[in-house]
Amino acid sequence: MRKTLALAFAALLAAGALGSGKAMAGTSLLETGSTLVYPLMNLWVADYQKDHKDVQITTQGTGSGTGISQAISGVAQIGASDAYMADSQMKSSPMLNIPLAISAQQINYNIPGLNNKHLHLSGPVLAGIYSGQIKYWDDKQIAELNHGIKLPHHEIVPIHRADGSGDTFIFSQYLSFSTPSWKNGPGYGTTISWPSVGNAVGANGNPGMVQTCRNTRYSIAYIGVSFLDETNKAGLGYAALKNRSGRFVLPNASTIHAAASALGSKTPRDERISLVFAPGAESYPIINYEYAIVNPHQQDAGKAADLKKFLMWAIAKDGGQQARFLNAVHFLPLPEKIVQLSKEQIEKIK
Amino acid sequence: MASMDIRVGDTARAVSPAALQRSGSQTILAVLTGLAALASFAIIFLMLFFLIAYAYPAIRFNGIEFFTSGIWNIGNQYGSGTMTRNGFSAQPGASFGALVFIFGTLLTGALTMVVAVPLSLMVALSLVYTVPKRLRPIANALVELMAGVPSVVYGLWGMVVLVPWIGEKLAPWVTAHLGFVPFLGGSAGSGNGLAASVFILSLMVIPIMVATTRDVMLAQSNSLFEASMALGSTSWQAMTRAVLPSVRSGVVASVLLAFGRALGETMAVLMVCGAAINSYPENIFSPVNTIAAVIVSQLESALTDASGMAQRSLAELACALFVITLIINVVARGIMRGADRREGRAA
Repeated sequence: MRKTLALAFAALLAAGALGSGKAMAGTSLLETGSTLVYPLMNLWVADYQKDHKDVQITTQGTGSGTGISQAISGVAQIGASDAYMADSQMKSSPMLNIPLAISAQQINYNIPGLNNKHLHLSGPVLAGIYSGQIKYWDDKQIAELNHGIKLPHHEIVPIHRADGSGDTFIFSQYLSFSTPSWKNGPGYGTTISWPSVGNAVGANGNPGMVQTCRNTRYSIAYIGVSFLDETNKAGLGYAALKNRSGRFVLPNASTIHAAASALGSKTPRDERISLVFAPGAESYPIINYEYAIVNPHQQDAGKAADLKKFLMWAIAKDGGQQARFLNAVHFLPLPEKIVQLSKEQIEKIK
Repeated sequence: MASMDIRVGDTARAVSPAALQRSGSQTILAVLTGLAALASFAIIFLMLFFLIAYAYPAIRFNGIEFFTSGIWNIGNQYGSGTMTRNGFSAQPGASFGALVFIFGTLLTGALTMVVAVPLSLMVALSLVYTVPKRLRPIANALVELMAGVPSVVYGLWGMVVLVPWIGEKLAPWVTAHLGFVPFLGGSAGSGNGLAASVFILSLMVIPIMVATTRDVMLAQSNSLFEASMALGSTSWQAMTRAVLPSVRSGVVASVLLAFGRALGETMAVLMVCGAAINSYPENIFSPVNTIAAVIVSQLESALTDASGMAQRSLAELACALFVITLIINVVARGIMRGADRREGRAA
């Protein structure tokens, strides 16, 4: 017993020595939050650290809710979020909402035999599924949008995020903006009060959504586009969604770009704006800015300088916005005007 | 037991009672142990006090609705204005009804006991009386190993192995063939849910119950079992009629311990329960949620509530779990004492 205790103590001491040694070598930054941004951050950080060995950046995919709250509390220097902060939050803790890239979300499903087809789905139909009014895949409302496809008479298992999530935010915005009954009911937010549906499942993070959807036949899920490779590997289907002009569009570079240009010019100086359900015949309806939530008043001047440097690199054309990073996760680069606005915001970090 | 005897012997050899008295260290020891005993009460009391103090605005805001409503909604953080009740405000549209979680906690806990108690008793009895002597050390070591596995490991196994198996094999078969039995028919779901939670919780509490009841049975001298056998009873009769009644209070205590563990288990349940919100289970495969699991899964969302009411309502949930555990303890103790009195024994 005594020997084990002594060993444990020695191990603790050694760990402490190692930890402090690392801290002395340079500054360390913590990025946490959106699981949708996480794959991109990993690509960025690995590349960035090759030329910047004096700064240690740690990345974590924990969900946008965590990203926002840990950026506010000061645990993390960068809180990654798919959602911009609400006015009420901004009032109590003013933070910078800095777009890093443009992302989209696909609606995935696992219907044996139909996963190679792109079903047509609309906001009101998805609202019906997630509120329990549409229970079966061969429901009249789904069949009407998918002539010529034989839909199975099987119960739909709607999967939603259990943790606070920017994906929930943009998905519920699509439902709110397209379906009045959803707007007046659950509404939108990073966490919403899901209507009572007996077999609805809550999953954690985008990886949890992919896993649950893959394991559950006849399920439907909303998953960030940076997980497109994973959902394809899992053999899931993804839907063509009805946009504001009434056309059914798939998420790809041109439809995401169309939506971004339709609303990008309206982006205000603090860059908090929804890009969901954008006008335009080619616009994909669920796209968003991926945000870095950053406290403008950093406690540590050294950290503030390194943080600014990294964020400037992330939004630079010859830095983080290069196609070799963004294409890997199916994100789109920020338009020139948005890069300018983001630069102005990054300059405010002190 | 054996190791304990050795330790007592060691102490006796190192410091004789006479030496203790001479140095006055007995007084110091008495004071120290007294303080430690007092501290355990004080810590529990202070924790409850600060938890209730923190949750107070939520208790006022939610009122009785907390226990009567099953709608959990932290409100619209992107909405305008706030809603105010009894002088405390929350995000617009907020409603903190905990009934779904309270119900889910008690249901998973109770079903776990239904599965785990008979199994644990049988395992403990066989470990003490029927397993060949040579195999006992191995069997005992396995049980203790199971009790020592961290809950997140059970949760991970449940997530990657158990849940897909229930979702793809067990649930579709059961709902198709046994659907006429209440609570077995209807939607087969995804595998995440009540059945998976109860299975995982049972795996976690059975080793605890086996270890404690086995020790109680071992402490009981073998004579009861042998006398009963000598009177011509079968070994089954000897175990159920002679041994079990004699260790009843020990068994009840271990069941209580296990029930408490099942009610408060967080991580493993969170990973397999399906995180139900606003809906009650329809059958044994439906998603559920427990108080402990929902506190973890909703905490980060609650931290984004600028009014702070969501956090305070989670604290109220924690208070509720605290009180539920307390009530179950008190009730069970009452039952034990009542039963003992009827049999003319001291509690």
